[in-house]
Amino acid sequence: MRARSRVTGRNGPGSVLRLPSARIAVGVLVAIAFLAVFGSALAPQNPLAINSDALFQGPGSHHLLGTDYLGRDVLSRLMAGTRLSVLTALEAVGIGLVLGAIPGVATVFMGSSVDFAVNRVSDALMTLPYIFFAVAVTAALGNGLPQAMIPVGILLAPPFFRVTRAATLEHARAQYVEAAELLGASRLHVVRVHVLRKVLPNIAVTTATITAAALLAVSFLTFLSIGVQPPTPTWGGILSSDLAYLAQDPWAPFIPAALIAVTVGALNALADAFRDRAHAGRLVIADPIIRTDLSLEGADGDRQPQAAA
Amino acid sequence: MTAISLTRGDAGAAGAARPRRRRGRAALAAIGGGLAVLVPIVFLSTFITYSLGALSNSNPAATILGQDAATPAAVARLDNALGLNQPLVVQYWNWLAQAVHGNLGRSYFTQIPVSQSIAQRLPVDLSIAILALILAVFIGGTAGTVAAIRRGGWFDRGVTIVASAVTTLPAFVVGILLVVLFAVSAHVFPANGYVPPSAGLGPWLSHIFLPSLALSLAVSADIARQLRTSLVQVLEQNYIVGARVRGLPYRRILFRHALRNAAGPALVILGYDFPQVLAGAVAAEAVFSLPGLGQLLLPSAQTRDIPVVQGLLLVISVVVIVVNLVVNATLNWLYRTGGGVGA
Repeated sequence: MRARSRVTGRNGPGSVLRLPSARIAVGVLVAIAFLAVFGSALAPQNPLAINSDALFQGPGSHHLLGTDYLGRDVLSRLMAGTRLSVLTALEAVGIGLVLGAIPGVATVFMGSSVDFAVNRVSDALMTLPYIFFAVAVTAALGNGLPQAMIPVGILLAPPFFRVTRAATLEHARAQYVEAAELLGASRLHVVRVHVLRKVLPNIAVTTATITAAALLAVSFLTFLSIGVQPPTPTWGGILSSDLAYLAQDPWAPFIPAALIAVTVGALNALADAFRDRAHAGRLVIADPIIRTDLSLEGADGDRQPQAAA
Repeated sequence: MTAISLTRGDAGAAGAARPRRRRGRAALAAIGGGLAVLVPIVFLSTFITYSLGALSNSNPAATILGQDAATPAAVARLDNALGLNQPLVVQYWNWLAQAVHGNLGRSYFTQIPVSQSIAQRLPVDLSIAILALILAVFIGGTAGTVAAIRRGGWFDRGVTIVASAVTTLPAFVVGILLVVLFAVSAHVFPANGYVPPSAGLGPWLSHIFLPSLALSLAVSADIARQLRTSLVQVLEQNYIVGARVRGLPYRRILFRHALRNAAGPALVILGYDFPQVLAGAVAAEAVFSLPGLGQLLLPSAQTRDIPVVQGLLLVISVVVIVVNLVVNATLNWLYRTGGGVGA
């Protein structure tokens, strides 16, 4: 019992917080989550209020981060814009997680033809750039950020699928799984007790990385003003209007850029912390998108590096 | 290392359970040069692309005819002419057959052939994306190699920090910041616009340099980190020590033996990042006001000009697939001539 708690103490999710970088990252993310929930309520001023007397003001006591081209308070707009940016990013991550991780575990147990088929679907999805698809889907389903993030979520599923499948494969053929099966454990029991628990750290790493990617995608789409109507503040939308008025205020883009960078940086740091703690790093794979060398799958098991000469 | 440990796991499980089927599949993959893998991918991604348009609940015939002329009879006639009353799979097949011959249909609104509009704009994005890849290989390759050789030194630590910082910003934000630094403040490069290479190599390069640099930084960071990791592993291998013992010059060991074996994973990263580089090119267009595919995609999506959107997605997926095939061929060549990727 004591040994077990020591092991979970070292490898459990809570222990990640012992790393200083992870603590900072979690702190930043909690703050962003807080802004996402309460941001528009706590904004010091009305983010939509236009003030023609105070255009392009620098940071000051009245406007902490200055004002934009319509005299609107930048800090309030950033705070109010957090919710839409964060929620739609999480929407895409949720879709990707469900569509990627569940098949990633399941296909390992479903025979090679299912495995082959699902792998090809995953490969095909990886050849489709999600930004283009998000734009295209707004053509098909109507102009809305939540709609645009559905294809982003679907196209973010392959990384989840590959990581989960690789981790599941490793654990599913471990000797203790074989032993459990010999003792009569059902497949569901094996998945639940022996596989899922050990795959979770890898999924956690991927979730953090993919959330960062989704946030970048959201800022990208809102920057192209896809899915949002102009007065609604979003991180990308603020950047886009800053870009239009660079001549008046060249340093304005640095504020929203810093907010995006800090959030994405925190997610990346969290992913690194998970990776260090869970030793899951080697399963975050760099496998070619199109694997024409399936014939090598069997052959490279014992390949050793050799000198070229 | 990473790539190998996965494929090895792959093969182990499939092989232990079903050796016969695996051998059959291996033969298939070998015969068709990966056709067994490639064909489903091409059909799947093109089908997804095509059905996206069909998913749209808009009524193209009514859109084309306009509100006044859209009588049910006229709509039915146009549907028939456009082939929109056929089953989706039939429509898809006809579309693909035409696409293979270079015919992507015409825009619903301007009646300009889609292939013509794309051919006009694709060179802009391709030149940005390809220059970005070249810059990324150069910047990332140099940084990763030097960091691996001087492991633990200040350059190594610097690369790690800069690489982490760079990947926190989307390419278009980097682009905006570059515009502020180099174009608005310092006037070193033009802030916007595009001139084709026919107008001279210098002006062309100076117009695409900043967007390409913006796109290349995140890829450079990925390449530098991956190359550093695998090169550090390779440099510890016995055959490198052996080569040094035999007295080969270090430069030759590095380029002929170490880099060749360590380059694989970095190359895979390049294939991974390419779709994002292309997507980034669209954002870079917006930042630098370039007449590229994004300027075609965004308005077409807003007006639901489905043939244009479908054609664009098709061309982009094909470009991504081709780039990944090149990456794969290079990987296979590295495997064959170099032995293995730091495995």
